[in-house]
Amino acid sequence: MAISRLFIANRGEIAVRIVRAAHSLGIETVLGSSAADAESLAARTAHRTVIVGPAEPARSYLDEKLIVQAALGAGCDALHPGYGFLSERPALARLCEENGIAFVGPRPETIEALGDKLSARRIAEASGVPLVPGTPALESAEDACAAADEIGYPVVMKATAGGGGRGMFLARGPEDVRTSFNKASEEARAAFGDGSLYIERFVESARHVEVQVFGDGEGRVLHFGERDCSVQRRYQKLIEEAPCTVMPDAVRADLHAAAVKLTSDLNYRNAGTVEFLFDVERGEFYFIEVNARIQVEHPVSELISRRDLVAMQLQLAGGEPLNLQQSDIVLHGHAIECRVNAEDPDHGFRPSPGRLTTWEPPDMDFVRLDTFCSEGTLIPPYYDSMVGKLIVYGNNRSEALQRMDEAIGRFSLAGIKTNMPLQHFIIRHPDFRNNLITTSWLEKIGLPAFANREE
Amino acid sequence: MKNVTADEIKNLIQIFDDSEWQELALQVEDFRIFLSRDPNSAGAPWQGAQTAQVPATTVAPAPATAPQQPLGSAAAAQPTAAPVVESTLVPDNCVVVKAPNLGIFYRAPKPGAASYVELGAEVDNETEICLIEVMKLFTPVHAGMRGIIRHICVEDGDMVEFDQPLFYIEPTE
Repeated sequence: MAISRLFIANRGEIAVRIVRAAHSLGIETVLGSSAADAESLAARTAHRTVIVGPAEPARSYLDEKLIVQAALGAGCDALHPGYGFLSERPALARLCEENGIAFVGPRPETIEALGDKLSARRIAEASGVPLVPGTPALESAEDACAAADEIGYPVVMKATAGGGGRGMFLARGPEDVRTSFNKASEEARAAFGDGSLYIERFVESARHVEVQVFGDGEGRVLHFGERDCSVQRRYQKLIEEAPCTVMPDAVRADLHAAAVKLTSDLNYRNAGTVEFLFDVERGEFYFIEVNARIQVEHPVSELISRRDLVAMQLQLAGGEPLNLQQSDIVLHGHAIECRVNAEDPDHGFRPSPGRLTTWEPPDMDFVRLDTFCSEGTLIPPYYDSMVGKLIVYGNNRSEALQRMDEAIGRFSLAGIKTNMPLQHFIIRHPDFRNNLITTSWLEKIGLPAFANREE
Repeated sequence: MKNVTADEIKNLIQIFDDSEWQELALQVEDFRIFLSRDPNSAGAPWQGAQTAQVPATTVAPAPATAPQQPLGSAAAAQPTAAPVVESTLVPDNCVVVKAPNLGIFYRAPKPGAASYVELGAEVDNETEICLIEVMKLFTPVHAGMRGIIRHICVEDGDMVEFDQPLFYIEPTE
């Protein structure tokens, strides 16, 4: 029943990570690679590499039929989708199921239910997980004022019919609602043909926190603590850490319980992440979404829980029972991850593909580097810009911070531009060190400060 | 060279292909490879006189392992063991027809039916020469040129990868 030959339908560092985990369990590996990645580290370390298509993702990594055909042709009995690409496409999970290939992830219907935002909100609501407080459509400025009083200012007014900022405004008090309601409603009517508005609480100081969960598919779900991923640019995470040290213990316990409740109600299978917004001022959290896959930032949870989540994924998919209790998962210390991206933070984060002429990672204890790169690696221009993840562990946050500072300083890279100067700047910034940042910090404060830095 | 990878062999062939060399013989421990452009080559230095039957590049196709065949480390480490299927002496001027996408290669329109083409068959632009199946969807591959089939690189029913050589066709006027 255990997996004997695994197909890896991904590239980059996560493909390397999955190949390694499989080999450590004695599982044979077949990598499904595009022609552009035929010489990649994962292609060199897998037992076999199958070229599924050209560089263009739509004709290789994003075509579930080619991927499953390749897995069948190579005699694989399981498939790991990694993250991104097809990982949360129900069609891939379904096609695997129909062809007798164990999909290393949730059931297709779970992926489907969680993939739709409205459906995911309904699921959270049904499990009693808090959502950002809001209202249905409102008729008039007076109705809006009454509703806003109940929710508590500041609030954000949004058009029910659409997004993109049309008909949207922020209100800090009833006078803002009165002056802006009719104008915003007109704007919404002009843009969407429907002038109705609704109100949501505006979370001013929000942190992004998420809970790593792992379910056996039969209703039992374990959590591996939370991660704080508040350093973001345009909703892209740059730095992730575990645990979230600004969260009071009582709130943390509720957060874990909410994530476990939501996923166990779904009989969630395999690894997943429940994402929340944490309102620092109110000390409350609200559901955002569930990512039904292994995530980029899973290593920080692995370091504090001392568990190999990818190996666990393969074992569960191979039919092994989940032989763990929540009490077996003891969290220790603090871990921080910096994403190493091939992009230039001094020039609008433009991608910087090319050949790595120097790649000398820090030679330090308590440092982990998940990457597909080495000196001479060509970073192809067709895919996302992440070239690695630098992860450190410490007994506490300040020790981990000090190690990350040291590790970035000792990381020599040349040939391409990377975001490491920015990461170093953030790690050393007093706001980050004092753990005062929110999800808007990087764009409002961090990036302007970085642009004006003295070298 | 205990674990020679398909990539290393491909690289070697690429280097040979790009070079002016007529022959290349390489032996590192147990690993031996011999490449030649000369159809009448005397063979590798370590073997007796033997005629190379196919151009060097046809040894290149990535492992054309049959589906379900066990993928032990031996099979994985020696993709050159993939047998050359059918060929006559292949003239230098042949053009390779490569797989437009990954899939299962079929030489006939349905099981038991006659093959689209046999060795020596004359083909033109529109001649269907094989089918490639991706999850029950069968797409014909056309010769795309006038010529004579000189070499068939893949066994019926094998999986082919994107860009893998399928046929060698000698152009005619």
